[in-house]
Amino acid sequence: MNHLKPLNKKARLFEQAAAAGRSDEVLMMQSVAGCTTTLDPGWEVDPFGGVAALCQPMEADLYGCSDPCWWPAQVPDTINTYPDWSNGAPSAAQDWRKLQSVFPKK
Amino acid sequence: MRTPTPRSPRPAGARLAALAALLLAAAPLAAADFLLTTTKPNQLHLVDAKARATVRSITIPGPGSPVSVAASPDGRIAYVLTNRLGSISGIDLDSGAEVFRADFDEPGKRIKGMFGMDLSPDGRELVIMQAVTRLEQVEMVVEAPRIAVYRTDAGLQAQPDRLLPAPRRTVLLLYNDAGDRLYAVSWDIEVLDPRDGRRIETLKAMNWERPNYAPPDIFGVWGQYEQARVFVNPYFALRTDKSPDDPAAWKTGMLTLDLNSGEYRMDDFEETAAIMFSSVVNPVKRDEAFSVYTQLTKTDLANDRLVQRVDLDHTYYTINIAADGSEVYLGGTMNDIAIYATDTLEKIGTIDLPGDADMGTTWVRVIQR
Repeated sequence: MNHLKPLNKKARLFEQAAAAGRSDEVLMMQSVAGCTTTLDPGWEVDPFGGVAALCQPMEADLYGCSDPCWWPAQVPDTINTYPDWSNGAPSAAQDWRKLQSVFPKK
Repeated sequence: MRTPTPRSPRPAGARLAALAALLLAAAPLAAADFLLTTTKPNQLHLVDAKARATVRSITIPGPGSPVSVAASPDGRIAYVLTNRLGSISGIDLDSGAEVFRADFDEPGKRIKGMFGMDLSPDGRELVIMQAVTRLEQVEMVVEAPRIAVYRTDAGLQAQPDRLLPAPRRTVLLLYNDAGDRLYAVSWDIEVLDPRDGRRIETLKAMNWERPNYAPPDIFGVWGQYEQARVFVNPYFALRTDKSPDDPAAWKTGMLTLDLNSGEYRMDDFEETAAIMFSSVVNPVKRDEAFSVYTQLTKTDLANDRLVQRVDLDHTYYTINIAADGSEVYLGGTMNDIAIYATDTLEKIGTIDLPGDADMGTTWVRVIQR
């Protein structure tokens, strides 16, 4: 926290709790209560700094990474919130046009 | 002295028939390799590997998408993690009927199965790695992860027989051949007593104490160790005594754990040149390992060297191997299982699964029937 300065009351409470040793352990990846809790943003470049070593084609990777919450930032949470997102589109390579954006229910 | 009377010879056909009957009586028919895998939305497929043909496709009840797959030791029942990681369905492969069902959620708790799933060698118990989240009014509380142990005869409303404490980040669970050790593959491999979860020992992986090496990067969520009974997984590591822009600083190696002897090794075999997601050991030539991603890689485990690497038509996540060690089966991601010869890495076949649906993260298991 040496490089961060709290800007509001809530942030100051966080800082005070951390200083007093009252902060809880941060647990993620295996708490799949919603995909965003897994905090795995997905790959944008490969380990060599390019894209050639990403899955080929991208569609081969789509369901393998969206169904287990690997790409919570890029695709809907099909485990909890939008389980029907890929219904009727079992082949990502052929059916990708059927995959739509999602919006929170009012 | 009486001369023995020669017996009249039996016709050749009758002799062959008698021999065949004798052989049939003496030994069961040689079992063939069948592949067991799934596709979206919730289909289970049984594939005759050598015939290159899907012999049965079964719709698993309820929502998908299936991931982990395991089979009973007699190859009759397939257990599949499905229902958005929330249930295990056990399917009788002959009748197609669901004979086992475990739905994980409890009142006020959302429980997800996190890949690791295995059956005890006697087939009586099934273990699944579970992540538990308590749902409060305004917050979600992460509870301790656990290993749920089910009796496989628990029927369609199966409840855990017992719950064992599990190391966080565990992604695979593997029984040893004797059934008295359960390997929990986490940042390290914790060796547990499957009766009570007692920790017997720790096989270090991420926390290795190797001079001049950073902790290795190990990713593995696929169970495919049944043929050689060796769990093998690639790892990637950075040498800290070399400049990061020196290609020799980046090492790829293989982690191997023999589920019979318990022998455990982590050995580099090349400077990192390709991504590898998952691997399998040849049950006949046990120093050969095959790894898959967008390339297929053959590694000599005895001499820690790269043997051969070929480009694939597309990326595959999973790989399994024939009982005779002659061919490997590449699956996961899209709809096809690609077959490659283990001696040449030539492509020798393809099996397109019914329904033209993606396999995604699913496992490809080999059973004998």
